[in-house]
Amino acid sequence: MANVPALVVTHADLGAALMRAAVRVYGPVDGVQVLSNEGYSRDQLEKEIDDQVALWEHGGLILADFWGGSCHICGIAAARGHGEVIVVTGLNLPLLLDYLHNRGALAPRELAERLQQKGRDSIRLHYDQTA
Amino acid sequence: MTWVLRRVDDRLIHGQVVVAWGNHLRPRRIWVVDDAAASSAWERELLSTAAPPGIAVRVLSLAEAAADYATEETAEGPAILLMRDLKTAIALADAGVTLQMLNLGGIHYTPGRTKINEYIYMDDADRERARRLIAAGVILEVQDVPATRPLPLAAIDPAMAQS
Repeated sequence: MANVPALVVTHADLGAALMRAAVRVYGPVDGVQVLSNEGYSRDQLEKEIDDQVALWEHGGLILADFWGGSCHICGIAAARGHGEVIVVTGLNLPLLLDYLHNRGALAPRELAERLQQKGRDSIRLHYDQTA
Repeated sequence: MTWVLRRVDDRLIHGQVVVAWGNHLRPRRIWVVDDAAASSAWERELLSTAAPPGIAVRVLSLAEAAADYATEETAEGPAILLMRDLKTAIALADAGVTLQMLNLGGIHYTPGRTKINEYIYMDDADRERARRLIAAGVILEVQDVPATRPLPLAAIDPAMAQS
């Protein structure tokens, strides 16, 4: 099974920093594109994303930083008409690592649903019971 | 209450609007005035779902916005008005809308535009529209998020001083 491709789209340098962190934990990574929204109008960012997802023959994932931001909105607009291209928001490091470990084993929709759960589960609280 | 922010931003609804201004101003409604977006049911749905719960989004054509503008001023709770460009602001003003103050939050680079700061670029047509608005009594302030200082457009763009 071929890897599900992904495009990381974030504000500022977050995507590049997350990828550097992922490489430290996972090891060398290929096949993941990173895009910052910096300096782009909505139309321009949509086109940049569209240029990437248009290359995906069997769908893929757009991993965006947060719901309601330009990365999410432009991702949805660019994904339209490109088959099974799914936008996943709330990108964090555990989610990105889980993507890397499972991108060759699942189809885009199953992988996206797994990442949604992984991202949620990764936010946990610890209270010092002795305090 | 009435309008708490009238903003020119070619990203329309996005992070700075819903997170930074949204938390600062706590709007009940966001109006997106854009003929292209208003003419597409898909685009209206996209923009409506982008806002956090509790904020109602209306995507209106210029004509709809001009007709309803006054009624919004007496609606309950604060509201934000978003426009893609100065051309839309001019059209609203020409339709009789009193804009008072415009926040310039995002006019990004396209060929022919020169840089004013990291998020405002203008060409001669943009500046002419800005001059027309200023001449009509509209205050133009450049500010991306509430935590930064608003600056009058004319103060940071020397080309605005040239006629």
